[in-house]
Amino acid sequence: MHDPSVVDLSRLQFALTALYHYLFVPLTLGMSFMLAAMETVYVVSGKAIYKQIAQFWSKLFLINFALGVATGLTMEFEFGTNWSFYSSFMGDIFGTPLAIEGLMAFFLESTFVGLMAFGWDRLKRGQHLAVTFLVALGSNLSALWILIANSFMQNPEGAHFNPVTLRMELTSLPDLIFNHDAQAKFVHTSIAGYVTAAIFVAGVSAWYLLKNRHVELARRSFRMAALFGVLATAGVITLGDALGFIGGQAQPTKLAAMEGLWKTEQAPMPFNAIAFPSQKDHVNYGVIQVPYALSLLVTHSLDGTVPAIDELERTAAERIRNGIPAVSALQVLSAKPGDADALAQFQAHEKDLGYGFLVQRYAPDVTKATEADIAAASRDTIPQVAPVFWSFRAMVVLGLCMLAFFVLALIYTMRNNVERQRWLLKIAVCMIPVPFIANETGWLVAELGRQPWTVYGVLPTWMSASTHSLGYMIFSLIGFVSLYTVFIVIEMYLMVRTIRRGPDDEHAPSPSIEPQAARLAGQAEG
Amino acid sequence: MKTFLQFALFMLIAFVVILMAITLGEVGAWYFAWLIGTTMIVLIAAAGGMLLDAQDEQAARKAAAAARHD
Repeated sequence: MHDPSVVDLSRLQFALTALYHYLFVPLTLGMSFMLAAMETVYVVSGKAIYKQIAQFWSKLFLINFALGVATGLTMEFEFGTNWSFYSSFMGDIFGTPLAIEGLMAFFLESTFVGLMAFGWDRLKRGQHLAVTFLVALGSNLSALWILIANSFMQNPEGAHFNPVTLRMELTSLPDLIFNHDAQAKFVHTSIAGYVTAAIFVAGVSAWYLLKNRHVELARRSFRMAALFGVLATAGVITLGDALGFIGGQAQPTKLAAMEGLWKTEQAPMPFNAIAFPSQKDHVNYGVIQVPYALSLLVTHSLDGTVPAIDELERTAAERIRNGIPAVSALQVLSAKPGDADALAQFQAHEKDLGYGFLVQRYAPDVTKATEADIAAASRDTIPQVAPVFWSFRAMVVLGLCMLAFFVLALIYTMRNNVERQRWLLKIAVCMIPVPFIANETGWLVAELGRQPWTVYGVLPTWMSASTHSLGYMIFSLIGFVSLYTVFIVIEMYLMVRTIRRGPDDEHAPSPSIEPQAARLAGQAEG
Repeated sequence: MKTFLQFALFMLIAFVVILMAITLGEVGAWYFAWLIGTTMIVLIAAAGGMLLDAQDEQAARKAAAAARHD
């Protein structure tokens, strides 16, 4: 039996490393394509200012890229060190996309990122642009394969459990790759990266405009970021809805937690805009509701309903009862693999094997599980509602704020007078942390909402961890937090230093157009 | 007021577009959509940069013409 504290610390360690890592990743995903857009203008127009723009932002991209790689590498090892049962049980499926990610995407981006950084004077313009696009593609393909692996944990498709080898085995690579959850999650995550990069570029550009430094670079960067961001934000919201719909079907407990649904209600169901969920009492306090909205949002109809936690717990209890014979048959099969009766019993109940594992936490000999054990295990199937509920709302509200910001930014930049809107520029600077917070809360919704499973409906979290000592976990947790905090400080220092310095003066272009003063004079005349 | 109306109009357009995309289907060919969407976003952002240059050049020409007129 695993020590619950060790499982909790393993979860905390993975969550912290993932949350640290995820501070860097979205900026890399989005910035790479923003660089491609900037360099495209340079190649098409031949104007030196765009080369300067692309070179400046690529410096910030490279700082972020390097630290993103450093924080990501440790996570793959963490599966083996802290989640050894999970790795053994799921390795055949989980290892495939991760191996492809390393061999295809990571090698692609790592190879070409060097050419991108040092190839400005060695490659032709078109060749360098192709390299930049390949880095962008590689970065995003890297995210694709990792999210395919993650989506198997959210919605396991394309694999089955082999009772003889006692492992999950891959049955269909296309099912794994084209998992609906993977498709929606990849696009949602990738485009959230575009939004992050757009806010970052707009914010830094706004800071330059407020300081009246590097104005020509900042105006162009701001314009491109506003367009990039407004389109990307619309895409993120659309894909967020799709992901909610797909996730809601695959993981109804996550959806119930996101919406704070304790009791089954008739359609049309109201949306809990604000509530304070109590896990203990199974009720919400201080509720402010929007009538009909939940049915419309989740089912896109007024007569659609969403299963609530009371109903889901009852269903889970039934599945636990059905899973118990599967677990007991598996125990026989692990000792006598050829036992035909045990195999038949297993096959009759195998779809609820994971639910049988859930009750094993309370009754190591599942055949002796009491109704109280089953009730406790069924309550465990519901994730912690309050953090999921509030993380979801924070993500949505921040997403809408970013949409409003980009629309405003677009209006002023298209009028070509954004530099005179100091209030908007100040907002743009203040917006820089917003997408990072939204990304982190999105991760929390996805991963806290999946609990108590590492692989939804198949493998409970409590079984997945390694059997380390408490001391080892505390020591390694402190080590990771310290190291990653140092990484964050280094990133912030390098970023701020590079931004303060601005683009290299020796590469300062001679704009082919009259700068600021003539343009503003022209506007005044107009 | 003009800016506020423009803002309201653009937000309305954004919501209508998002609503249309949502109602078109939840289980879409999202990988394909990403390819097309990313290409579009990159090209539109690039076009926005070039448009700014064109706007600047037009403003400079206007300023020069006004100076000659005076």
